[in-house]
Amino acid sequence: MSPLLAVEDLSVSFGRSSLLDRLINPFPLPGFNVVDDVTLSLMPAETLGLVGESGSGKTTLARTILGLVRAAAGRIVFEGREVATPSDFRAMRRRSAMMFQDPVASLSPRLRVSTLLTEPQVIQGLPMQDRRAAAKALLALVGLPASFVDRFPHELSGGQARRVGVARALAMKPRLLLADEPTAGLDVSVQGDVLNLIGELKRELGFATMIVTHNLAMIRHVSDRLAIMYLGRLVETGPTQEVFSAPLHPYTATLIRSEPIPDPRRRSHNLAITGEIPSVFRRPSGCEFHTRCPLVQSRCKTEAPIYRPMGAGRLVRCHFPLQTGGREREAVSRASANPRGN
Amino acid sequence: MSGTLAASGLSVRYETPHGSVHALRHVDIEAHPGEVIGIVGESGCGKSTLVTALANLLPANARIDGAIRYNGVDLAKLDAHRQRLLRGDEIALVGQDPMTAFNPVLTIGDQLVDFQHHRKDLSRTLKRARIAAMLARVGIADAERRMRSYPHELSGGMRQRVAIAAALLTDPGLLIADEPTTALDVTMEAQIIHLLRELRREYNGIVIVVSHHLGVIAELCDRVYVMYAGEVVEGGEVDAIFHDPRHPYTQALLACDPARFHDRLDRLPTIPGSLPSLIQPPPGCVYAPRCGKAFAPCKTIAPPLVKLTACHAARCYVATP
Ligand SMILES: Nc1ncnc2c1ncn2[C@@H]1O[C@H](COP(=O)(O)OP(=O)(O)OP(=O)(O)O)[C@@H](O)[C@H]1O
Ligand SMILES: Nc1ncnc2c1ncn2[C@@H]1O[C@H](COP(=O)(O)OP(=O)(O)OP(=O)(O)O)[C@@H](O)[C@H]1O
Ligand code: SF4
Ligand code: SF4
Ligand SMILES: [Mg+2]
Ligand SMILES: [Mg+2]
Repeated sequence: MSPLLAVEDLSVSFGRSSLLDRLINPFPLPGFNVVDDVTLSLMPAETLGLVGESGSGKTTLARTILGLVRAAAGRIVFEGREVATPSDFRAMRRRSAMMFQDPVASLSPRLRVSTLLTEPQVIQGLPMQDRRAAAKALLALVGLPASFVDRFPHELSGGQARRVGVARALAMKPRLLLADEPTAGLDVSVQGDVLNLIGELKRELGFATMIVTHNLAMIRHVSDRLAIMYLGRLVETGPTQEVFSAPLHPYTATLIRSEPIPDPRRRSHNLAITGEIPSVFRRPSGCEFHTRCPLVQSRCKTEAPIYRPMGAGRLVRCHFPLQTGGREREAVSRASANPRGN
Repeated sequence: MSGTLAASGLSVRYETPHGSVHALRHVDIEAHPGEVIGIVGESGCGKSTLVTALANLLPANARIDGAIRYNGVDLAKLDAHRQRLLRGDEIALVGQDPMTAFNPVLTIGDQLVDFQHHRKDLSRTLKRARIAAMLARVGIADAERRMRSYPHELSGGMRQRVAIAAALLTDPGLLIADEPTTALDVTMEAQIIHLLRELRREYNGIVIVVSHHLGVIAELCDRVYVMYAGEVVEGGEVDAIFHDPRHPYTQALLACDPARFHDRLDRLPTIPGSLPSLIQPPPGCVYAPRCGKAFAPCKTIAPPLVKLTACHAARCYVATP
């Protein structure tokens, strides 16, 4: 089977270069890659979880895939064809849906929910007999009362706005759904509702999903594969269950260990990661995780590890990947358990 | 300066063309200096309404009843000028949608300088130095450079951390954070939790955190209020809420947390049914339409708040001390 979406060596760079920017800002920032050399694929009906540091380029990657941000290098292939020109991207966007990270800010403040829900369909030229009825049906789908059609975005709670975002995305019956933090701001029950709904519609319509999230407890149940990003690069990919049970990259292991446990009797009184947080403006030499890695060796500081396969379907960017159940994993626990008091 | 915060009989309704939305009904909460209070509950149950009311920032279509006393002063009785002073100086709110908190055409640095307008004693250079130090504390590397960025040039989690930094720069006695860690990876989240704990100790102030992340609540809070459909249905020490929840909604909420399940689930657990209409709240117990333990009186007569221990209470007929 060929992938629905393939991203090859994709890089995205931001820098201030327009004349206006230079006038406003006397010290222009040089360009810097916030997404660097990312290669990823998504099979039809597959769910990929994209997890990583805050600021590591996940949102930018998703926006670039849909052509909302321009790539500096690399290729995007959708349904077997390269997506390059603006009209290619428009065609792809008609078959895809994006749920944005900021729920309220991403809905136009002056439009009522009914318009917000049916606007994409109108743009797509789908037949629309009765926009209000369609909007009400969509609201019911995401568990909101029909009376919400007349509300404005600022009259919704954060979670309600997020559910309107889901309804809006699914209204398009997409082939590809890119969901940026779809559960942020939802309580665990509504979060379950939204994900079960996406799951059901996925089984029915067969679309592929990329879920960008920090919610490890959730993504472990709903994704088939995981990709972990750090400073704009992928550091690990693999089947979800395997990544959780035996992470290869020390960053992945630290993420899994740092998840707070919902039990006040099991508080962790330490910071799982200490050390300097790097910035895309000044990438660390060698392995970019070395400023915070509990297992850092001298080689890591000078030589950048390559992204290499390890076992079936798994890739890792580390000189000393953790072995399943081996000594090294204990070392991560020990090294990251250095107490900093409470 | 910091003091006790107490809201009593607090009700808020939003006037809309379709009727009044009774978003908050007769809510009583209190918080003491040095405490971290958690607020949890179903999406749309009024958590943001409660904290915006505490910070005196409700939108124009909101009508408020009841009293909010901070340090012995009734906030509603202050004139507009004194209210503004208090907000800039003593009470800080980190809102739920950080993108809407910033002015899109000003740099982060300029906005953070403005946040310190009450510190007339500090020069602009000193203010910028404080900002750089605070940004570093919330985990933003290359602070000097980030101060020259515009809000849209930051990632979602960076905006959230800048919003937290902005609130902390005002040295508040009462810090209210509405979903402060939703856009943060777990390591950054741990760092922010650690920071909030440290601050509570340093300033002996009050921190109120709204979060859906039960792990964060368990990790950070001393006491927790559980809300449902505009009411506080249970409140108590964090240990009692997690280990001895008495309200059926609290029990159902905890049981839904996917963090409790290690093996992959095909369907995530949920609470069947949905939040009742807040335009016409149910006459009896607000949770009755979804409650497995409901019996006759639940549907018609609202249950009283039952005191279970000195600081644990639940609004339910079946809760007994
Ligand atoms: N329009 C822009 N101009 C300049 N820099 C940008 C722009 N958009 C994003 N960036 C930078 O790109 C980097 C990656 O941002 P992105 O929003 O993709 O991160 P993210 O992984 O989604 O983070 P989060 O989890 O916090 O949402 C950040 O350093 C951010 O400051
Ligand atoms: N300005 C408004 N006008 C009318 N109704 C409103 C307004 N703001 C909020 N509401 C309604 O009031 C109720 C409570 O909203 P609130 O934002 O306080 O919920 P919340 O508990 O913070 O939810 P979430 O967890 O989803 O953020 C919701 O049903 C919402 O639709
Ligand atoms: S290469 Fe070295 S520093 Fe980088 S993650 Fe692996 S062990 Fe850590
Ligand atoms: S009062 Fe009745 S309906 Fe309400 S939570 Fe208790 S048992 Fe359930
Ligand atoms: Mg993002
Ligand atoms: Mg809210």
